Amino acid sequence: MGYGSYILRRTIYTIIVLFIILSLNFVIFRLMPGDPVRSIMDPKLTPEAKLLLREQFGLDEPLEKQYLLYMRNLLRFDFGYSFSTRLPVKQEIMDRLPNSLLLLGLALFITMGTGIITGVFAASRRGSFLEALVTGSGLFAYAVPAFFLQLLLLLAFGYYLPIFPIRGTMSVPPPPGGLALLLDRIYHLILPVTSLVIINIGYWALYTRNAMLDALSQDYIVTAKAKGLTKNRVLYGHAFRSILPPIVTLFFLQLPSVISGAVVTETIFSWYGIGRYLLDAVLKQDYPAAQGAFYLIALAVLICNFMADLTYGWVDPRIRVGEGGDRG
Amino acid sequence: MKEFWQRYRRSPQGMTGLFIFLFFLLVAVFAPLLTSYDPQHDRYLADRMARPVWMRILPKYREMPTTVDLMTTREEWETPGGPGIKTTFHKEEENSTITFLLEEKGRGEEKILLEQAFLYEQKSPRTFILTMQVKPELPENLTGRLALSIINPEGKVFELWSGEYTGSRSWLPVRIDSRDQMLKRRLQLSPFAEVATEIFTGSGEYRLQLSAAFAGDGLGPGKGRIDVQNLNLRILGRLHGVLGADHLGSDLWSQLVYGTRISLMIGVLSAFIAVVIGTGVGILSGYLRGVVDEFLMRVADVMLSIPTLPILIILAGLLGKSVWNIVILVAVFTWMGPARIVRSQTLSLKERSFVEVARASGASDVYIMLRHILPNVLPLVFASMVLLIPVAIIYEATLSFLGLGDPMTATWGRMLHNARGFGAFTELAWWWILPPGLSITLLSLSFVLIGNTVDDILNPKHRERT
Repeated sequence: MGYGSYILRRTIYTIIVLFIILSLNFVIFRLMPGDPVRSIMDPKLTPEAKLLLREQFGLDEPLEKQYLLYMRNLLRFDFGYSFSTRLPVKQEIMDRLPNSLLLLGLALFITMGTGIITGVFAASRRGSFLEALVTGSGLFAYAVPAFFLQLLLLLAFGYYLPIFPIRGTMSVPPPPGGLALLLDRIYHLILPVTSLVIINIGYWALYTRNAMLDALSQDYIVTAKAKGLTKNRVLYGHAFRSILPPIVTLFFLQLPSVISGAVVTETIFSWYGIGRYLLDAVLKQDYPAAQGAFYLIALAVLICNFMADLTYGWVDPRIRVGEGGDRG
Repeated sequence: MKEFWQRYRRSPQGMTGLFIFLFFLLVAVFAPLLTSYDPQHDRYLADRMARPVWMRILPKYREMPTTVDLMTTREEWETPGGPGIKTTFHKEEENSTITFLLEEKGRGEEKILLEQAFLYEQKSPRTFILTMQVKPELPENLTGRLALSIINPEGKVFELWSGEYTGSRSWLPVRIDSRDQMLKRRLQLSPFAEVATEIFTGSGEYRLQLSAAFAGDGLGPGKGRIDVQNLNLRILGRLHGVLGADHLGSDLWSQLVYGTRISLMIGVLSAFIAVVIGTGVGILSGYLRGVVDEFLMRVADVMLSIPTLPILIILAGLLGKSVWNIVILVAVFTWMGPARIVRSQTLSLKERSFVEVARASGASDVYIMLRHILPNVLPLVFASMVLLIPVAIIYEATLSFLGLGDPMTATWGRMLHNARGFGAFTELAWWWILPPGLSITLLSLSFVLIGNTVDDILNPKHRERT
C-alpha cells in the first residue's frame, strides 16, 4: 500500500465521518422534545416568513427529503436565520470567524515556538530545574481546568492589577488610525493568548523533550558524537531535525482541542468569536445558530485530524515507502 | 493485592494522591457536620457578598457587622394592658404566634400597640429583612389593620409596613426587604439611600412596634381576630461564615463542602459507566475480531472525531440541565480510550495458552470472555477508570461554569459560574473564586496521581520514561 492509496483511504474515511456527524446533527436537532419545526423556526416569525422557511427547509416534505435538503443546505453553509437576531447564521459566523482564527492561530504559534524551544532545552540539560518543570507540566495540564486558570489570570491582571482589558475583542469605539487600531487589537489579545499558551505549552515541551531524548539515543547520534561533533551540532543539526516531522503531526493533533477549547476561552474573555457564539446560541436555544457553529467547529476538527493522518503517513516510512501497515 | 499495596506504598506520588483523595472523601461524607446551612435553600443568611468572618483580623473589616436575628417571642414584648383588644402569645414547636382578639362591642375603632426594645451593637448594616405571616379572620363589616415600625435611638420613627384586611384568609406571607424601592418611596428617602443605613445609624437601643387595629360597624367580642406568626427581623451582616456569602446571601462554605459530594459522585459515576461500556466494547472487539471488531472500532473512531466539549455543550443544552444528563453524556463521550486499551489487552490474552485450553475443552465464547478475559483485564480497567475520573470532573465543572449545570445543585463549577455572573470579580472576592477552583484542581490532581501510580504498577510497559 503506497502513500497515494493511504491518502485516498483517509479521504474517504474523513468524508464518511463528516457524513455521520452531519446526520447526527440532523437527528439531534430533531429529537428535541416537542415540535421538530420549533428547532428550525422562530416562533415569533410572521406567518408569511414561516411559510417561506417551511419551503426552504422543506418541512412539509417527508423526512428523507428533509434530510437531503438539510444536507444540501449545510454543504452550502446555509444554516438558516438566527432566532435571536433574525440575521443569516452564515453572516453572523463570518463576522466572528476572523476573530477566532486570529486568537487561536496566534496562541497556537506562540505555544508551538516556546514549547519546542523549552522542550529542546529540557532535553539538553537533563536533571535541570527546567526539565523537572517540563515533566511536571504534564500533570499540571491534566489536573488544572483551563477555565479556572483563565479566570485566575483575569482576576490577577484584569481586576487586581487592572493593566489588561477584562473583556472584548477591541475597544468601543475603536481608536482612530491604523497603528492605534493594531495596538488596541494586540492589547486585547494579550491575556487570552497568554492563557492559552500557559495551558498548552506543557504538551509541546514534554513531547519535544521525549522525542529529543528518543532521537538522542539513536545510533546515528551516537555516531555523530563519536565523530567528535560539538554538542550543539548534534542537538540542532541532527537530533532536532529528526523530530521535526512528528512535531508537524502534533500540530494537527493539538489543533482540535484548541478549537474545542475556544468555547471556554472566548466566553471568559468575552471574545467575539465562534466558540462564544456556540455557547450563547445553546443558552438562548437559538438552534440554527448552534447548529451552524457546531458544524463549523466539527468540520475544522475533522480537517485537522485528516491533516494529522496525512503528515503521519508521510512521516511513517512503513506507509510512505509502501511496506504496508494496518492502522486498525 | 498485598503485593500491589506494598509497591503502591513506596510511591510518594501515589501516596500524596491517596491522601488528597481521602481528605475530600471525608469532607464529602461528613458534609452535614462541617456546615449547618443548606447550600441552596438557605438564602439571606447575610448581606449579598458578605466577607468571611475571619477577615475581622484585618483592621479594615474589624467593625463590619455580622447577622443579627431578632426572633420575637412573648417575653420580649411589652404589652400595655388593654382596652378592647386581648393579646395572647402562643409558642408551638418552631412557630410563635401572636393573636389579637377583639373584645369590645360597638362602633368605631379599637387599637393596640405592642412594642419591644432591642440592642443593636454594631455598625450600620446595608440590608435588613422583616418577615412574618398574617392570618386575618374578620367579618365583612370589619377592617383589620396591622403596622410595623422601627424607632431608632435618635427617636426617629420609620413605619415600614402596614396592611389592611377584611374577611378570612389563610397565612399570608409578609416580607419587607430594606432594598425595596417602594419602601424607600414610602419612607420618603432618595432612591439611592440605603434604608438599613438610615434606620440603623449605629449601636444603641432600638424599638420594634407592632400595632393592630380593628375598625367598622361590627365590633364585638370574639368577632375579629388577627394572628401574626414568626415575626422575624434579620439584620444582614457584612461578615459571614467561613467563606462569606454569595449574591443571594447563601453560605459559600456549605456550597464548597456539598460540592465535594457532587464532584466525587459525578466523576466516579461517569468514569464507571464509561469504563463499563469501554470494557464491553473492548472485549467483544478484541475477542471476536472480524466484522464486529471493525464496526466497533470505527464507531470509536467516529466518536473520537467529534469535538467533545462542543457536543457536550449542545447536548447538555438540549437535554436539559440536570446532574444525571451530565453524568451520562460525559460517559458516552469518553468510553473510547478504555475500549482501545481493553481491546489490545484482549488481543494478547486471546493468544495465551489458558484461553487456548479453555477453547479446546469446549468452553463457549461468552464463558471465555467472562471467566478468562474479563478478570485479566480488570486491573487495567481499574487504572483507566481512575484516570478517567479527573476528565469527568473537569468536564462537569466546565459545563457548570458555562451555565449548563444543574440549577438545583450547588457544584464547584456553578460556584464559579455565579462568581463570574454576580460580581465576585469586580469586588475582588477571591474567597469566592479560589476555593472551588483549587478544589477542582486538587481533586483532579489526586486522581491523576493515583491513576498514574496504579498504571505504573499494573502495566510495566506503560512505565513513565525517566
